[in-house]
Parts: sequence; structure tokens; C-alpha cells
Amino acid sequence: MWHVHDDDELLATHLQELRRGTVVLACLLMLERPDYGYALLDRLTRAGLAVDANTLYPLLRRLEKQGLVTSDWNTEESRPRKFYRTSDRGAALAAALSRDWDELDTVLRSLKGAS
Amino acid sequence: MTTPATTDTLTDRYVAAVLRHLPGSRRSGSRRSEEQRPEDQRPDIDIERELRASIADAVDGRVDAGADRAEAEFAVLTELGDPARLAAGYADRPLQLIGPALYLDYTRLLTALLVTIVPAVAVAVGLVQGLRGAGALDLVGDTLDAALTTAAHLVCWTTLLFAAIERVAGRVTAGAAGRRTPARRWTPDALPEPPTRRARYGELIFYTVAMVLFATLVLLSPVISTETDAHGAPIGVFAPWLWQTGFVYAFIALVTLNLAVAYAKHYARWSVPLAVAGTLVEIACPIALLWLAAGDRVLNPGFTQAAAWPQSATTWINTALIVVSALTIVFAVIDGIARATRR
Repeated sequence: MWHVHDDDELLATHLQELRRGTVVLACLLMLERPDYGYALLDRLTRAGLAVDANTLYPLLRRLEKQGLVTSDWNTEESRPRKFYRTSDRGAALAAALSRDWDELDTVLRSLKGAS
Repeated sequence: MTTPATTDTLTDRYVAAVLRHLPGSRRSGSRRSEEQRPEDQRPDIDIERELRASIADAVDGRVDAGADRAEAEFAVLTELGDPARLAAGYADRPLQLIGPALYLDYTRLLTALLVTIVPAVAVAVGLVQGLRGAGALDLVGDTLDAALTTAAHLVCWTTLLFAAIERVAGRVTAGAAGRRTPARRWTPDALPEPPTRRARYGELIFYTVAMVLFATLVLLSPVISTETDAHGAPIGVFAPWLWQTGFVYAFIALVTLNLAVAYAKHYARWSVPLAVAGTLVEIACPIALLWLAAGDRVLNPGFTQAAAWPQSATTWINTALIVVSALTIVFAVIDGIARATRR
């Protein structure tokens, strides 16, 4: 359907809008297992949720400030890294967001079925 | 190719540029309270360590995939983008001057200020220049200059004020979530209330009575007066010049036209020609009055002498007439614009 160049740009804009909130949910779900910034970026990309580094790094600190993730410096290896882990509060939020995602999915499915 | 030494400084320069844009950072000319915190709790040091580790990890990742180290570093920093933007992300700082929460309040206040103050200043300056007897070119030039300067100041300071609110309020409500919701909730109560037809009709009646009374008094003034000359004939309070030139009749005609416009506004549907004609007629009267007062053609010198009024009385009356006329012009223009925008 999307043949024209302008349409590609339009699609990219709307896809970005659609995916915006999913980054937070994906981070909270993935950080059930503690990880550091670059590794999380890598995991997200490989999972098919490519995020820009300059979006993810500030986001992690914001989530930490909001108490949704906790952090610890791991200085055992040669390169010290800051590891993030989803907090209880973060897990609760992730569960709520997941429920909402499922509901949206159901609604959209029924809309597609109705048309 | 670049040597490792210079590529090292590329990351150093990037990290330094990010830190420079962080509030409270040592390199941004820090605040005292941040200085006194232990090193490992200072956010800028934490960000620096983490950012350096992230860049090094990303460079290693590219090198492992077979890239040249210098090229890898260049590519990683290019991906991270403008250091100021990244720092704004870390500091959760808005990347806009005035956000959606304040934008409507900003435009409303700015419009109200521009629509009222700029014409008022322009009229005032034009008047002063006119009274001083400045040439037409000077008068127009100075008036335009004053209007433009006033508008520039209003825009500049209002914008600065709202940009400051945006930044302070953003910090108070802690971040992006707080910034997106408007400060005040809008309810339908805020809709402008149209004045009832009855109230407007009352105004119309009052206006009619006042205008008729005014015209009658002006027309009768040569024959009804507190002062009389040596032959016992009354001395009119208004300048005889007005009658000699027939100007007074033109003025009364304008007043009548004003009344007609008031009735047309009440009964006819709003339209652009009616609105423009109405505003022109409304400002014609005060402009004429202004011109008369500025040239001292309102009061009869014979009358003020006979009544033994001080010279300053004439000056004060003329000044008062000028101010009232100017305000009337300003309000007529504002009312015209307000009616037009309400369509």
C-alpha cells in the first residue's frame, strides 16, 4: 500500500507514535534480569524493538528517578558498569501496562473483525 | 587515519560537552550544594562514568564486528547525536521555549496586550507629536516607531516570562508527565458569555438619550449661556468658529450617524462591510474632537474671559478631550476586532 516516498515518512511518524510507550514497558520487562545500558540496548534491538541510545540512556535514569528501576555499580569487572533492575513498583507498573496492552489488542482485533 | 590519541579526545570532548549542558555540573560552573556532596552521589559524575562505559561498550561492539576503532568511535558518537540534546534528556529539560501546557495562555495574553497597548501608545505618541506641530512625515514616522518598539518589547518580555514559567513549572511538577497536562483545567464555564439582548437594548436606549441630549445642548449653546456681553447678548461656551464654518453641523451629523450604526449593529447581522463602516464612523467623532481640541477650537475665548476662567482651564479641558477621544478610538478598534474574532 505504501508506495510513495511521502507515505513512507508518514508511516515512520505514525509508527514512532505507536511504539513510543512500548519502550518503557519493554525495559521494565527486560530488567527483571539486571543489565547495563549498552547490553539492554543490544537486547532490545535483537528483540525487534530498536531504540536510539540517546533515548534509552536518559530514559533509564528517568525510570530510576521515578523509582521504577533500581541501580547498582558493578566494579568487579575491568570496566565499571551501572546495572539497572526493575523494582517492585516497576514490576507492578509493567503488569498494569501489559494488561492495558492486552486490552488494546483485544479491542483492535474486534475492530478489525467488525469491519 | 587518525591516531588513537586524538580519537580518545573525541570521546573526552563529547562527554565534556554533555556535562557542560547539565545543571549543577562541575564543568557548567556548579552550584555550591552539589560541590559538597560525596563524589559518588553527584549526578554528573555518575552520568559521566555511565556514559563513558556505554560509549566504550558500543565501540567495542563495533570493533568486535570488524570495524576500525577510530571509525567505530566516530560512528558511535554520531549515533548519540548532539551533546546538548542528550544532556537535555538527562536533565529532563524541555527542548521547547513554551510547551503545549502554556502555549494557549501565552498567545491569549500576548494578543490582549498587543491589541490594547500598541494602539494606545501609537495614538498617544501621534497626539503629542501633533500637538507639538510636527510635520506629517515626523508624526507618522514617530508613531510607527513607537508602535513597533512597544510591540517588540511586549513580545520579548511576555515570551521571556512564559519561557521562565515553562522551566520552573517543569522542574516543580517533576518532568515530562507534569509538563504535558495544562496547568488549569478548562471547563465550559470559561466560554465567553454573550450579553443578553435586553441588556444590550438598555445600553442602546441610554446611548440614544445621551447623544440626543448632547446634540441638543451643543446646538442650543450659543443662545443659552451663563455669560452675556455688554449688550446683554449671550456668549456661547463653544468657539464661534464652529458655527462660522458649519463644522458643528457636520459634527452633529456624525453623532447621528453613530446612533444609526449603533442601531444597525443591534438589529442587522454582522458583516464585514457593516463592521468596517461602523468602526470608521465610531472613530470619526473622536478624531474630529481630537483635532478640534488639539487646535484649541472647542472653547470660546470670549466665554472663558467673561467667566474669568484661568488660562490653564482651557489647556486642561483640551487635554482631557484629547485623552478621552484617544481612549474612545482605542476602545472602538478593540471592540471591532473582538466582534470580528467572535464570528
